[in-house]
Amino acid sequence: MFELNRRHLLAGALSAAAVTMVGCSGSDGDSEGPKAGDKVPTSGELSVWCWDPAFNVYAMKEAAKIYQKTSPEVKVDVKETPWDDIQTKVTTLAQSKKGDQLPDILLVQNNAFQKNVINYPELFADLSDSGVAFDEFGESVVGYSKIDGKNYGVPFDNGTAINALRTDLLEKVGLKVSDFTDITWDDYLTMGKDVKAKTGKPLLSAQSGQSDMLMMMLQSAGASLFGDDEKANIANNETLKVVMKYYGELMKSGVLVELNSWDQYIGSFVNSNVAGTINGVWILGSVQTAKDQAGKWEITNVPKLVGVDGATNYTANGGSSWAVSAKGDTALAADLLKKTFAGSTELYDTILPKSGALANWSPAGKSEVYKKPQPFFNNQPIYSKVVEFAGKVPSNKTGAYYYEARDAVAAAMVKVLKGTKIDEALAEAQKNVEFAMK
Amino acid sequence: MTAPPTSEVEAPDRAQGKVRFRSEQRRNLTGWVFLLPAAILICLMNFYPMVQALIMSLKTGRGTRFRWADPLWENYTRLFDDDIFRTTLFNTFFYLIVQVPIMLGLALLLATLLNNPNLRFRGLWRTMIFLPCAVSLVSYSLVFRTMFATDGLVNDTLIGLHLSNAPIDWLGNTWTARIVIVLGLLWRWTGYNMVFFLAGLQNIESSTLEAARVDGANAWRTFWHVTVPQLKPMILLCAIMSTNGTLQLFDESWNLTQGGPANSTMTMSHYLYQLSFNRNPNFGYASALSYAILIMVAVLAFIQLKVGDKRD
Amino acid sequence: MTRTRLRKIPSYLFLAIASLVSVFPLFFMVVSATNTSQEVLNSKLWPGGHLVENYRHLVQAQDLWAALWHSAANAVGTTLLSLLVCSIAGYGFEVYHSRGKDWLMGLILLAMMIPFAATMIPLFRMFAELDMINSMMAVILPAVATPFLIMLFRQSARSFPHEIIEAARIDGLSELRIFFTMFIPTMRATYAAAAVITFMAAWNNFLWPKVILVNNDYQTIPMLISNLTAGYVTDYGMLMLAVLIASLPTMVLFLLLQRAFTEGITGAVK
Repeated sequence: MFELNRRHLLAGALSAAAVTMVGCSGSDGDSEGPKAGDKVPTSGELSVWCWDPAFNVYAMKEAAKIYQKTSPEVKVDVKETPWDDIQTKVTTLAQSKKGDQLPDILLVQNNAFQKNVINYPELFADLSDSGVAFDEFGESVVGYSKIDGKNYGVPFDNGTAINALRTDLLEKVGLKVSDFTDITWDDYLTMGKDVKAKTGKPLLSAQSGQSDMLMMMLQSAGASLFGDDEKANIANNETLKVVMKYYGELMKSGVLVELNSWDQYIGSFVNSNVAGTINGVWILGSVQTAKDQAGKWEITNVPKLVGVDGATNYTANGGSSWAVSAKGDTALAADLLKKTFAGSTELYDTILPKSGALANWSPAGKSEVYKKPQPFFNNQPIYSKVVEFAGKVPSNKTGAYYYEARDAVAAAMVKVLKGTKIDEALAEAQKNVEFAMK
Repeated sequence: MTAPPTSEVEAPDRAQGKVRFRSEQRRNLTGWVFLLPAAILICLMNFYPMVQALIMSLKTGRGTRFRWADPLWENYTRLFDDDIFRTTLFNTFFYLIVQVPIMLGLALLLATLLNNPNLRFRGLWRTMIFLPCAVSLVSYSLVFRTMFATDGLVNDTLIGLHLSNAPIDWLGNTWTARIVIVLGLLWRWTGYNMVFFLAGLQNIESSTLEAARVDGANAWRTFWHVTVPQLKPMILLCAIMSTNGTLQLFDESWNLTQGGPANSTMTMSHYLYQLSFNRNPNFGYASALSYAILIMVAVLAFIQLKVGDKRD
Repeated sequence: MTRTRLRKIPSYLFLAIASLVSVFPLFFMVVSATNTSQEVLNSKLWPGGHLVENYRHLVQAQDLWAALWHSAANAVGTTLLSLLVCSIAGYGFEVYHSRGKDWLMGLILLAMMIPFAATMIPLFRMFAELDMINSMMAVILPAVATPFLIMLFRQSARSFPHEIIEAARIDGLSELRIFFTMFIPTMRATYAAAAVITFMAAWNNFLWPKVILVNNDYQTIPMLISNLTAGYVTDYGMLMLAVLIASLPTMVLFLLLQRAFTEGITGAVK
């Protein structure tokens, strides 16, 4: 009876299945990327997915306006879509072989870029020969969207790390922001303890269980969680061990305080509970929501690791790049990116004052707009400073399993803070990542 | 009624039986017609994708390039070697065993209290206790995380009442974080289940309760011997639904703790979602994991049905 | 008299505590909707004067009314269809009970036991082949027949007095009319509970709409809220106002359907 029923029930479903199978068997044709010589259409409609109306959406709309000055027949339709949703949609469309439903241009998180292109190469257009001058971007930012020597993304959103500090709180201890410039984590710890003792406030806050701070510290020395052979490099990663040692010391001394969620992390500096923060430059948007703290912030570069080859005072966290769908109007989409995000100082001059969207494209950084003093940051010309930092950020390997590795290292850190030996915790992390890669 | 086998009465009786049989048959058929729209929709919207997922669970590969796994059940055996899966399995069952009985007990208690016609402000209590499940997850998780922060309301209260000397890092420690998840679940779903018990109580003949009272049974005996047996179908339903909901639990793990610290509060469904959309996608393995969940729910539901669905 | 009153004190105390605990996050949500982002992060517990400003920012940044409309169309459509399809099926299972139907019920229950994340992609593929991506119908259809509701109505029908059905049959009513004129009015409380939770599930449904509405043409409220938290800078005051607005319809529906829970079966039919 059971079998009979099920067969009856399935009859309806199977006819639908037959229809669907047709869609699965069709193979996707080779998608050639746009070439420099490709004829660019003069009219058409480009669809774009990106998030944040005050930032990316705004920037793309301004880019469209600039592009329309020379190509008035081109329309650009920007659909606000959060990154999580873009990722879910990309995955679903790829698995359903419905890549043609993708927009012509989509914004992709740098950390996830390689994962998506490696898994779904048929969806993303190779932009190497599109005429975009990739050498005008920092090497480390181009690296996120470069797979097997081919460029798949035009870097946009800048993730360069900054060390933002409260000058009023430092003053109470007799410190200045210049005391934090070009320093080591040892110096940072010493001064941090002082700040903690005299003001009762930690210098730094971070979200517990997250790997952002660890990854920033690791990348500052040019180290990665993966080796040149693409294999996980965690258990025997000496730089990582140094990073975890420092993180543990920061926590133990109270110079760093961990909070349980993103909102509490933001709240920690917005409500003046900490004397500073280290993150991608985009964090300054949230810093500036605390209007009562205007003029009390300054920025500088981040501390560097001690006893590690290649240690620098520069690193990055996050950021995102524009990708072009291989199934859409690739030539037109690539042309728009080339002439705006990779070719228009006017664009960056427009969007910087209004949204704080910083260029990764180096010619834009030389503009006068970047040198303007910012009142909120005690009249520091923060933007030209960040552009200067950006050029010095060492590269970082991401690859398809970057999220697995980051999660594993974050979990290892939690265990170390609870008393597990670093070697032991990292060995387990290595094992988990290798298992995921199997 | 058994008619004597005489030739006189045999003929009409048989005819009557035929009529009755035909109307029985027709009603049975009517019943099937009543089921038809739902059955068709469930076939298309649930069973067809489930069959596809089953096929997928026997495949392996990255991106969209899949091949049959070798051996076919490779993704299923992989589950046994997966440390993270084992952790999520443990967490999920911890939530199930601790939270579901407490929640159903509380919901039943509240529903019984609120079904008393002499109670004042019934509508007000009922609404307030139901409200949590209507509150957006965003604000709920924001509030819970703030309340259970190291310097949050809960620690302040505990220290104020001298129940604790030092602030507890609720969300930072394995067991306290699991307890916060259980509390969150209780908060959000007790009122929800209460509504079904209330609906069930409406269907109980008040005369049976009256009779029990006349017989001198106290409130507890009336509840246990009169209300609970009549409410059994609804209790069974809520038990199955809560079991199913807990084994597929995602929201609390995702929003309250992000699975942390170090995966120690992550649920199976959270891990499944990560495997599909956050990490390097592994749909074969994710499908195998989802069938593991299916099997566990099915076994538990089967046991519950066997125990609770006897037709008296 | 005084003894019974005294005996009731624990009940009231218990209800009061349960209600307070239940309402606190809601209270926080309402208060926060009137405060600035910074104040929300500081857990300010009394109302401020930023409600209008939060509202202005919200409607400037997002198409709030369109999203409310899409969510309402989805939730109302799903609820009406779902109640009809599932209650008639649940009734069918119980009133025309047979072994075959028991088997089918078991099978249907299986359908809810698999996480949606696993069946979403084949489901998407099916709608893509039917050329129904980006349609409201594709949002609604998968949520119409739910094993839970079918089971809920089946369990409720178990307490529906069969004498009523027999009496109606003798009066010559058709089976369908018995269902519509006898069963539905009697089971008001069950329908109310089912309506509230179906509406709520459809209203809050997030994963499926965001996937099937590829172009975001019919952006729903949960999609709008996810927009609000996706940027670098989150305005928590505005966010709390948005989630408050998002939570209101379910609450209002519950309040409207309250009465169904106060009249038992005895009052309704006899």
